[in-house]
Amino acid sequence: MIEPLKVLIVEDEALLAMELESLVEEAGHSVVGWATSSDEARRAVDTTEADIAFVDIHLTDGPTGVDVARYIGEKKKSMVVFMTANPKRIPDHFAGAIGVIAKPYTMNGLLSSLRYLQEGVRRPPPKSALPAGFTLSPAFQIVWAPTA
Amino acid sequence: MDWKRTREPADAWHMTDDLHVEHGKGDPFAAAIRATRMSMIITDPRQQDNPIVFANDAFLRLTGYERQEVIGRNCRFLQGPKTDKEAIGQLRKAIEEVADVSVDILNYRKDGSTFWNALYISPVSNDRGELLFYFASQLDVSDRKRSERRITADKERFEKAVQDRTRELEAALEAQTTLLHEVDHRVKNNLQMISSLILMQRRTITDEAARQSLTTTLERIEALSTVHRRLYQSKDVSRFDVSDFARDLISDLVTASGRTHINSRLDLEPVIIPAEKATPVALIVNELVTNALKHAFKEHPDGATAGHIGVRMSQPDGHLNIEVSDDGVGMAGTVAETSFGMRLIKSLARQLHAEVEWDDAAPGTRVVISIPNEPQHRGNAS
Repeated sequence: MIEPLKVLIVEDEALLAMELESLVEEAGHSVVGWATSSDEARRAVDTTEADIAFVDIHLTDGPTGVDVARYIGEKKKSMVVFMTANPKRIPDHFAGAIGVIAKPYTMNGLLSSLRYLQEGVRRPPPKSALPAGFTLSPAFQIVWAPTA
Repeated sequence: MDWKRTREPADAWHMTDDLHVEHGKGDPFAAAIRATRMSMIITDPRQQDNPIVFANDAFLRLTGYERQEVIGRNCRFLQGPKTDKEAIGQLRKAIEEVADVSVDILNYRKDGSTFWNALYISPVSNDRGELLFYFASQLDVSDRKRSERRITADKERFEKAVQDRTRELEAALEAQTTLLHEVDHRVKNNLQMISSLILMQRRTITDEAARQSLTTTLERIEALSTVHRRLYQSKDVSRFDVSDFARDLISDLVTASGRTHINSRLDLEPVIIPAEKATPVALIVNELVTNALKHAFKEHPDGATAGHIGVRMSQPDGHLNIEVSDDGVGMAGTVAETSFGMRLIKSLARQLHAEVEWDDAAPGTRVVISIPNEPQHRGNAS
């Protein structure tokens, strides 16, 4: 049994954050925090220990998700996965993030992404196939899916 | 210095400053200069302020002055307030450097009217290289200047109009793009919220049949979501690959949901359909696949639930054929429970002018949908 993940949710839509939290917990992982703005997100990053942060690009203070990802990268506190309806706004270098789960995602798509990420974080590279709807950043593509 | 006291031979050009001198009159070149329609003057740089010493009739006609008014004066009297300082500077420099110069300059007639003068000035020296005269010719190019100015003005006006229009169009495009992104973003978020609402609701329900019903609804919503996501992530939003969608769907429903006891056999040619058909086709595929998964393997006669599901897609002769088969319990076990699903498939098929064929494949069920696909979209697969 692989150790479950501690997840930080950075998402401005309460409804989506709520449901994401439920799904994460149902899958056996834990949610250590929820932030709706970049300020909240920085505070949450400083005060919690997370393995993975799911970061929306668009937050209550604007399209600041990429800044949040950069901050997390600088602090080396956790890994980042973008979760956005606007994947085209992600810079080419992905600000160091693993990849992106494009909205709208499916429940099963999210669950398989969680499994994939759990393997990738705990025992890289992941054994499972890359889930539909999950796109790896160019840097992680090389490390996690060299033949894909 | 008085030039008349130099030892220069008195050639024809010398004589021209005095219009009545016998010598000059007999010279055919001098006569030609006097009579030509081209305005010409000669100045003497060895006299104080380089005065005009000869002017032909054409010059007088052009400028409106009498001969006695111009002889002995420096020709700068032709300049006026609107004369370009830069052109004057060019002339001054050429005179200082004893060089040829050709310049278009705005000049003034005696009556104050202006004309554009294509002025050419050339120094004339003797064999020993001593500067004797400046020879100048004037050509009235006002008409040419006017049309040049008009062309320039027209061009500027046209360029400005084009620039203005381009700016307008760019602003309009920018606004359109922003609006499109905003709407796209909102549609995606709303689809995600609908799914989330259904999931949250489902969590509160203990009744298995009601839960199942919400699950089916969720799957249909998610099929729509996947269509939207795939369309707007692709490079061409007007084309949709049904095979890619089917692969996503199968991996989502079979692999991800942990139904490892079900083997899927996929035989998928790339099948490109126009975007407006994407939703109904995707809903049909979703219906057939989820149906096969949910019901076909429910209760095998021998108690086992392992089985196969096969999806084939091909496009022969301008048709898109979708075949979904399973080796489950067969039609008897599926039809009654999927009445709404059936109605959905039939209605969507009608919308697409498609034919639906349900076969009892014994064991299991095979459904074939044949949808007419425009010939121009055939072979567009990439």
